[in-house]
Amino acid sequence: MSTRVVHLEHLTKQYIQSSKPAVTSLTLEIPEGSVFGLLGPNGAGKSTTVMILCGLMRPDAGAVSVMGEDMLQKGALLRKKIGVAPQEIALFPSLTAYENLFYFGRMYGLPSELIRSQIEKYLHVFGLSEKAKKHVHTFSGGMKRRLNLIAALLHQPKLVILDEPTAGVDVQSRNLILDFLVDLKTQGTTIIYSSHVLEEAERICSHLSILDEGRLITTGTRASVMDAHPECRNLEQIFLKLTGKNIRD
Amino acid sequence: MKILATIYKEFLLLIRDPGGMALIFIMPLALVVVMALVQDAPFRDYQEVKLDVLMVDQDGDSLSAKVKEAFKDSPNVNLVMEGDSVTAKRLVRSGKYKAAIIIPPQSSKTLRRKTRQLITTVFSNFGLPADRSDSAVLPAIELKIIFDPAIKKNYQQSLSGSIEKIIANVQTHWVLDELQNQLSEGNEDVKKTDFDLSQIVNVNQGFASEKYQGFILNSVQHNVPAWTMFAMFFILYPLAGNLIKEREEGSMLRLRLISGSQVPVITGKFAFYFMVCLIQFLMMIAVGIFIMPLLGLNKLMLGGSSLLILLTACSVAMAATGYGVLIAVYFRTAQQALSFGSVSVVILSAIGGVWVPVYVMPEVLQTISGFSPMSWGLESFNDLFLRQASLVKIMPNILKLVGFSLVTLGASVFIHKARTVV
Repeated sequence: MSTRVVHLEHLTKQYIQSSKPAVTSLTLEIPEGSVFGLLGPNGAGKSTTVMILCGLMRPDAGAVSVMGEDMLQKGALLRKKIGVAPQEIALFPSLTAYENLFYFGRMYGLPSELIRSQIEKYLHVFGLSEKAKKHVHTFSGGMKRRLNLIAALLHQPKLVILDEPTAGVDVQSRNLILDFLVDLKTQGTTIIYSSHVLEEAERICSHLSILDEGRLITTGTRASVMDAHPECRNLEQIFLKLTGKNIRD
Repeated sequence: MKILATIYKEFLLLIRDPGGMALIFIMPLALVVVMALVQDAPFRDYQEVKLDVLMVDQDGDSLSAKVKEAFKDSPNVNLVMEGDSVTAKRLVRSGKYKAAIIIPPQSSKTLRRKTRQLITTVFSNFGLPADRSDSAVLPAIELKIIFDPAIKKNYQQSLSGSIEKIIANVQTHWVLDELQNQLSEGNEDVKKTDFDLSQIVNVNQGFASEKYQGFILNSVQHNVPAWTMFAMFFILYPLAGNLIKEREEGSMLRLRLISGSQVPVITGKFAFYFMVCLIQFLMMIAVGIFIMPLLGLNKLMLGGSSLLILLTACSVAMAATGYGVLIAVYFRTAQQALSFGSVSVVILSAIGGVWVPVYVMPEVLQTISGFSPMSWGLESFNDLFLRQASLVKIMPNILKLVGFSLVTLGASVFIHKARTVV
């Protein structure tokens, strides 16, 4: 039986300016070593959940446990064990790829030797070795996205949170990223994967949950979710069935 | 290590930003040189400026001769003779000459007669023999000085004062001469004395400065520390721009995600821009010492202790960096931060005495000036450069600058936390 890496219990969050909660009594368990798809239409509460999980936002109610520790109490300590690749390209454009990664490695508190070996390893894995000395502002969207992902992995986190990691990248880059994530999972890393691309989620996620309007609609292993809706041919059909076809803002 | 890494990162970001480099290092140097040159003439007082002054001599006698003689070796006035008072007025009105002195006809004769009448009256009052044949009431001598309306008030006062002093001197001599004449009437053996009145009272001028006598506030001495502070406070431009850019581009979010505490990141940034401010300071001081004399300006004199000057520079750098951080944190967009920041620095500099010294400002502004950190810094630099002040003397301003820095940083942390912890 797999242990849970993340446990959210009755999580509720409402923004001051908003008339309704972004997340309502969300209870969720994320097993260790899983690729957990956090899916939902716009405004479903995915980003809010991710922000709370990273310790960047406090819930109004509920508990957040990461690796057995209370995130609300030990956020600073826990963040060192989490790698986050935000949807934004969170890099310094006028620094080179190497300089960016070395700086982030330093900020993780890693020793120089480890930073160098990690940079070398991941630049090679993501096909960026030859671009190490190039300034990031000269990179294509796909290259930036890959580098953005590397920056989240330098400190060998046990839990990786990815927000739209393939947004704006070409097919080749997307394939490389997805293959890498599957490989990372086999090494025991837990991955929380938030995306709108259901085809990707179906390909790599072992577990998933679908949120809508701040509430959990369904959760479980990918197989159990698919099996619960035999009339649907793929995840996208299940998603539309559960969340409806109305346009969300 | 995190702080050092952040300092190195900021260094790389700055050296790869040619606009930022120019703004931090080249523009202030150009600004201080231009401002020192522009303000050189206004800062030179009457003693240092030589004015071309027209003289219309309608007297042609000893009084006008005395005036000419008095100004002959004057370092401040160059007398240019003009025959016609109408032409002289026209030339002054056109701005070609700053002033014209018109000595009317018969001035010397009238002054002599008036002096004689005066002495005669005194003699009569004391019962002494006196020739009272000349009892005509003489009109006052209408000596005129016409000024260019654009002349500075202090030049006008100085020239008027000099003329009045010459006339008074002539009058005193003639009174003494006439006194001797009337007392020696009928006694050919009495030898008249030509008194040297300048030896009666010596007015010695000096400055309340032990080290540099005769060393006063000049254009370089005012502009170098003043514009150095302006440049240091303008650090907010690259600092706020950089911080907001990181916030908008998301790299700040990553830093928040990485580190438990933001202290190393903020400390690193603060330390880097603090050092940039100090480098600016050293460069500007070097310009004052080595470049200004090459441009015909005074050399910047560092009268006080180097350690205290550095202490003041560090305090100003702290205040400037703290202010930059506050502006960056408070405003949400770069446009808002940079517009407000730039204008606020200009206002703080104006009321702080950067553009013109505080003592020439109206009283209200002088009071307001006490609230500008630039005024605190400038006052300290003037205390050190001109008055060789001690630590005790500059300490209140140092404490204000450091306090300002701590308050701005504290407010920045408070605002940052209020906006990020939601």
